Amino acid sequence: MDQNKTSKEILLRMVKSFTENEVAPFDMEIDHTRSYVNDLLNKIKETDLLSTMLPKEYGGAGFDGSTTAEMINEIARGNASLAVTLEGHFKSIDQIVKFGNQALKDEYLPQAKSRIIAFSMTEPSGGSNPLGINSHAKHVGDKWIINGDKIMITNGGLAEIYCVLVKTAPEELSFFVVDKDMEGFEFGKQENFLGLTGVPVGEIVMNNIEVDESHLLGKVGMGKEIGDSAHNDARVLMGAVLTGIMEHELDIVTDYATHRKAIDTPIIQMQGIQRKIADIAIAKETTKLLYQKAAWLKDNRQDYEEEAAMAKAYGSRSAVKSGDDALQILGGYGYSLDYPVEHLIRDARAMELAEGTVEKMRTEIALIEAKNRA
Amino acid sequence: MTAIEENWIFAENDLDEINPVTFQLITKMNQISHDPVVVILIEKNAANLEKVLSAYGPDKIITIKDDALATGDDLEITDALANLIEKKGTPNTLIFPATVAGRSIAPRLQARLQTGLTADCLDLHFEGNLLIQTKPSYGDNIMCEITIPECRPQMVTARPNVFSSEKKINPNLEIETVSNIQWKKDDQLQIKSRVLLAQKAKDIKQAKHVVAIGRGSKTAKDIEGAVSLAKKLNASLGVTRPLTDLDTFTIADQIGQSGQTIAPDLLINLGISGAVQYTSGISNAKIVVSINTDKNAQIFKHSDYFFVGNAQEFAKSLEAIL
Amino acid sequence: MKIVVGIKQVPETTNVKINEKTKNIDRRGLGGVINSYDLHALQAALAIRNQVGGEVITLSMGPDDFAVSLQETLALGADKAVLLSDRAFAGADTLATAYVLSEAIKKVGQVDLVLVGQQSVDADTGQVGPIIAEMLKVPQVTYADKIDAFKDHLVIDRKLENMEQTITAKLPILLTATDKANRPKYTNVVEIAKSFDKPIITWHAGDLDLDEKRVGQAGSPTIVRSISEPQKVAKKNHRLSNDPATAARELVDILKQKNILTEDK
Repeated sequence: MDQNKTSKEILLRMVKSFTENEVAPFDMEIDHTRSYVNDLLNKIKETDLLSTMLPKEYGGAGFDGSTTAEMINEIARGNASLAVTLEGHFKSIDQIVKFGNQALKDEYLPQAKSRIIAFSMTEPSGGSNPLGINSHAKHVGDKWIINGDKIMITNGGLAEIYCVLVKTAPEELSFFVVDKDMEGFEFGKQENFLGLTGVPVGEIVMNNIEVDESHLLGKVGMGKEIGDSAHNDARVLMGAVLTGIMEHELDIVTDYATHRKAIDTPIIQMQGIQRKIADIAIAKETTKLLYQKAAWLKDNRQDYEEEAAMAKAYGSRSAVKSGDDALQILGGYGYSLDYPVEHLIRDARAMELAEGTVEKMRTEIALIEAKNRA
Repeated sequence: MTAIEENWIFAENDLDEINPVTFQLITKMNQISHDPVVVILIEKNAANLEKVLSAYGPDKIITIKDDALATGDDLEITDALANLIEKKGTPNTLIFPATVAGRSIAPRLQARLQTGLTADCLDLHFEGNLLIQTKPSYGDNIMCEITIPECRPQMVTARPNVFSSEKKINPNLEIETVSNIQWKKDDQLQIKSRVLLAQKAKDIKQAKHVVAIGRGSKTAKDIEGAVSLAKKLNASLGVTRPLTDLDTFTIADQIGQSGQTIAPDLLINLGISGAVQYTSGISNAKIVVSINTDKNAQIFKHSDYFFVGNAQEFAKSLEAIL
Repeated sequence: MKIVVGIKQVPETTNVKINEKTKNIDRRGLGGVINSYDLHALQAALAIRNQVGGEVITLSMGPDDFAVSLQETLALGADKAVLLSDRAFAGADTLATAYVLSEAIKKVGQVDLVLVGQQSVDADTGQVGPIIAEMLKVPQVTYADKIDAFKDHLVIDRKLENMEQTITAKLPILLTATDKANRPKYTNVVEIAKSFDKPIITWHAGDLDLDEKRVGQAGSPTIVRSISEPQKVAKKNHRLSNDPATAARELVDILKQKNILTEDK
């Protein structure tokens, strides 16, 4: 028996059933109440879904990147917010695994089983321009003293551990890991976002937080490298989330178009409707192939930056457009807040911004294409 | 064992009451069988359930009168039936109701007799002596035609309420009481049985009877009428989407897309127009009855029976004669 | 208590169609899952083991790829698994299937309790459990809604159409579980890797004491002549009389005839 293949199949069976029974039926309620109803956060802890890609030596299940992405894809088909909450956690674990010193790994990775880790770069003064940030850490003896204000953090307020980008010198960016239980740590304002409303997005304020040397993630000055790495990892999983959203859109429109009749013919028989549905399916499958290729490259230790950017850039626009087409097919029901289509558009729209805008994706893709030919 | 040209039906006796599915099986076998239709009845000494069975016109009733066996467990009844067959011979077919009891005893007996058994049949007919059995599988998404060519008896369990029952007088009816049937007592089980009280209205997804109201029955009086009819029918109350705006109803009561899919034996639609958002949730309902003032209402296309007129009036008349 | 749980792998959905060319069920692209009722049986077995001690062994007859489902049962907490796999077993109906399963249970030996789901969601027969009980010569309680375990006996609640029962059962016994028996747990993600430390044993026909005439197609009295998709019966659209009282009377008569309403109680 191929152990990896069997493990993957068992995981995906479990995730499918979990999504079908615990997530999908609550999709609308999650969106409307802006919270994870049905005790979902406890359920993802009890089932150890939080540990899906956490290495085995830290108590995790140790699944590879492609399996993790497929699992996120499956959950997103039921509810995109929950998938993004997991994506944010996994991306953060990934950076600690890649860049953390042994003491940091030993301290925090075992906790990732039950405590969500978040990754925060943005500040009021800068997002995609990291040097615009004001947060900073000062070396005092063998400690670092951290001050600053980070906003728009995915899972901000929900996560208990934060990887934070700060300046360690005027032109030097570094990452530290802080814990919500540390002295000087405070939660700030929660954002009131348009889509992915289940995901808390919030602010943290750091007031003279004192940490050991071991809480430095990577080395001083590695801020940009770690930030880029986190973006790449997140974008692979976002491709998976977007695929899930489009699958959800397809579930809704195919069901509707099969049952809805114009005179006596189901509208699925009409070419205008068929074209829209086919285009959603093509976009879904293309995004799936892109994220799976990116994940495969990552698992095989090859460059995946470009494919990850493509999955996110292509997938996010496609999912918004597909949602818009789905809304059109459902007519008044599509436009109703009592039906799920409209929130899928809002959810997908978030991913044209988060983890780098689609404009930034295209810059990266273009530059890589040019570099490959230079 | 000698083969006998008879078709046997196992009568389901639930605490001294014949389960009506038995009557349905008698009627069906009377329609399709050339050979005598024989009912096997196990009852207490004091009981006389042969009388109720007679009304449906089988050719013969074989009664095993035995107080202990009448409340026996699956193993004991299997034992007794196997011994009966040993005495009487092997019938051509042996039909059980596809009830909990039938579906539990029949496979045990099948194993004892080393023959074939087909579960939960929806239709039966003969080709000569061969019983052609139509059985659903994959949750009724696939129909299989099954036969048992080599072994006897050809055993099936047949689903309740698929065949209708008709009373029939059979002047040649023969009733035989057998008393010398041996069976081994099973000391391992101690069974306490209670009659199941009529279940109270529950979740519409599981309900056997549903009364549904729509925009056309929105007044307090309409709702009151529907509630009272539902009570009388031991039915759950469901609503269409517009009614979930009222405080009384939630999405759990809503039938259709974005609500619940239901599969009751009986659905009565009061003042429902039949938009696709609603009808997609009722396609598994068995008998659909709809009442609407609009004689062109869409819902009528999805109904077995319909009444054109005032829903409240109809509900009241119906309630009065239930 | 030594408990054997029967496991069947079934297609992930019962919403299947017939392939027009092959005239057989189209399983393309359909993954397998453990029959949902068997998960309730397994959960009941694990709960009993956790309460009174013992071991839970899962047992399945099928092709080698059923091993995934057995591995899943190990991840869910079973102690070991047995796969009965042999080309000779192919084409078995419920009688021939139950025969091989019962022989395997005899080989496991000293089994106190056999638990299976009330039926499989693909074949929908519910026969394999009672046939095994008969072949093992043990009593049975089918459709168990609630199972309480004690050191040497079980107390079971079940419902029939018109009555409910509470049954005290001594061991050994076979039970079939309904979906009301418990809430099966989800596979714990971390337990999946650990489950590979537990054994899956494969037995072929030669490993069991079998009468070859009772195995596979040869041992199956039933024959599937044909399969089809059910015809959607068009609704009758029968209009009732115009007078509400008359219409109501017509309806009640029809419903009684169809046994939807019971006769005058």
